[in-house]
Amino acid sequence: MKFLVIAKKEMIDITRDKRTLFMMIAFPLLLMPVMIGSMLKITSSQAKKASLKELRVAFIGEEFAPNLYNAFSNLDKLIILDQIPIDSVQSYIQSEYLDAAININPSYQSNLNNNSQAKISIYYKGTDSFGTAKERIQMVLNQFEKNIIKLRLNKLNLKPDVVNAYNIEFNDVASKQERFGKLAGGWLPYVFILFGFMGAMYPALDLGAGEKERGTLETILSSPASRLDIVLGKFIIIMSAAFLTAFLALGGILIGIQQISEIPSDLLILINEIFTIKTIALIMTLVLPVSAFFSAALLGLSIYAKSFKEAQSIVTPLNIVIIFPAVIGTLPGIELNAITSLIPILNVSLASKDIIAGVMNPVYMTEVYLSLFGFAALSLYWCVRSFNKESTIFRN
Amino acid sequence: MIDVKNLIKDFMLNKKQRKEMGDKYKDTKILRAVDDISFECQPGRIFGLLGPNGAGKTTTLRMIATMLKPTAGSINVAGYDSVTSGQDVRSQIGFMTGQTALYDRLTPNEMAKYIADLHGMDNAIFNKRKEHIFNILDMNSFADRRIARLSTGMKQKTSIARTIIHDPQVMVFDEPTSGLDVMTSRAIVDLIRSCKEEGKTVIFSTHRMGEVNQLCDDIAIIYKGKLFYNSSFDQFKSEMTKPTFEEEFIYRVGEK
Repeated sequence: MKFLVIAKKEMIDITRDKRTLFMMIAFPLLLMPVMIGSMLKITSSQAKKASLKELRVAFIGEEFAPNLYNAFSNLDKLIILDQIPIDSVQSYIQSEYLDAAININPSYQSNLNNNSQAKISIYYKGTDSFGTAKERIQMVLNQFEKNIIKLRLNKLNLKPDVVNAYNIEFNDVASKQERFGKLAGGWLPYVFILFGFMGAMYPALDLGAGEKERGTLETILSSPASRLDIVLGKFIIIMSAAFLTAFLALGGILIGIQQISEIPSDLLILINEIFTIKTIALIMTLVLPVSAFFSAALLGLSIYAKSFKEAQSIVTPLNIVIIFPAVIGTLPGIELNAITSLIPILNVSLASKDIIAGVMNPVYMTEVYLSLFGFAALSLYWCVRSFNKESTIFRN
Repeated sequence: MIDVKNLIKDFMLNKKQRKEMGDKYKDTKILRAVDDISFECQPGRIFGLLGPNGAGKTTTLRMIATMLKPTAGSINVAGYDSVTSGQDVRSQIGFMTGQTALYDRLTPNEMAKYIADLHGMDNAIFNKRKEHIFNILDMNSFADRRIARLSTGMKQKTSIARTIIHDPQVMVFDEPTSGLDVMTSRAIVDLIRSCKEEGKTVIFSTHRMGEVNQLCDDIAIIYKGKLFYNSSFDQFKSEMTKPTFEEEFIYRVGEK
């Protein structure tokens, strides 16, 4: 039971470290809501700004389509600029003096009269992030085109169905939860996997390499505690830190979402329906073995390092290694199957997606748990071996 | 008592280490850090393990404390074999190095309690022992202050307290005064003396000849892993052919 003595001491030690506490509690709880909130706020305020913007549009060929010209000039927040020569249009749009230009072909009216197509050229800048100019011009033109078609069909004494041969009805049988799960379920595990790893990182460095650096490793190695006791005591605390950080990151997202007024209320209701205590508990059962896997692996690497600094340089690049399978899990088309359910991290990402979508395959889920607990056991075994290896523990 | 017999310790060298160590180790994969040494440390006597840096002192002491396993030979500490009864050996040992080896975020009280718990000490015995040690070392005024905020002297006292809190029968000191100033070194020297007075078995490694003269009852000189001399310090003094300890040491190991 000496491992409990070690675990108790390590807990006191790391909870007194402000950096660890910040990384473990404040960072996931505050950062996620702030990040999501600011992203949504910035996007919606930019969109609002774009929609309120007064567009400057050149209309060339007013004399060929006076009706169209009038329709545009009557629009709110749109100024028509006359007398712009066609060959200057592009440079004016480039330099953002103009937002768009409409060029009416001289044969506009005669083509319409002949029941053929009238050519209209629109110039705009595609890098305009919200595409406001193009969208608003298109809206007016679509309305005009509809009226023209209607008139033409009337003249020919034809029903609108003549040009609409199909009446297509799309029926999506996926539940709202499934659609949300497949769409947004991918990035959620990405967040808590990353936070779980970060939560384990600092305590692992401190309790492994830090112990060497302080010279305290010899103190505990010369105590009656066995190497297994030492590893287990440290491992329990690192794993708890990883688990807690991942849990708080998930909690941070869910709390943050409730605070953001920009989220439509029906989506909020759906999110609240999905994230019941049962769903969160199920996701956490995946986080537990993955935290164990990270913790043992990081502790093993940390005890190999000669110093805190060396441990940091060994461990930091692993962030990328962790992110890679987590990102793959967010890609569309990547599903949980007999093979992907065995790949650690990727399987957590995909299984969480299925849990959120509410479509779990019991065989694959069993495979996921077996794989995760298997990898956790393997990394713990490797960690204990590292602690027993003289060349690792006394590498300096 | 510590009984070391025909102790050997080999370390495997990797490619990088062989390269760093020069041509001599080009063709060998093994470094013999301790080469067939035997000695005995008796209770109530101070045994000095002398030798320059890299002689094999730390490796020997780490083997005594069961942190390293001998390649060959045996070590018996207070009746327990270091390989087969490692945990029993460790329960009899107090281990101290030149580093204070403390946890900055704990207090001296918590540090002592941690070591006591690792040794499975009964609470009542711990409290009595702690009170005794903290009184002797005058530690009560800072017993609940975080170690990070203590002065070097206070840290040294805390380090002494954590080394002896479980009342070990065998004390292992690995260059305990290296890097310390005169005042703090003196506290360590006093500790070593008091351990002797309490009848404990004391082994300490050093390359400071002044300390040897002050403290040692028995000595062993090791150099490049080999034992060059082992007897009582009085005997050593009587056999001296050179005017100073340093010169005698160099003469003994044959590096004239």
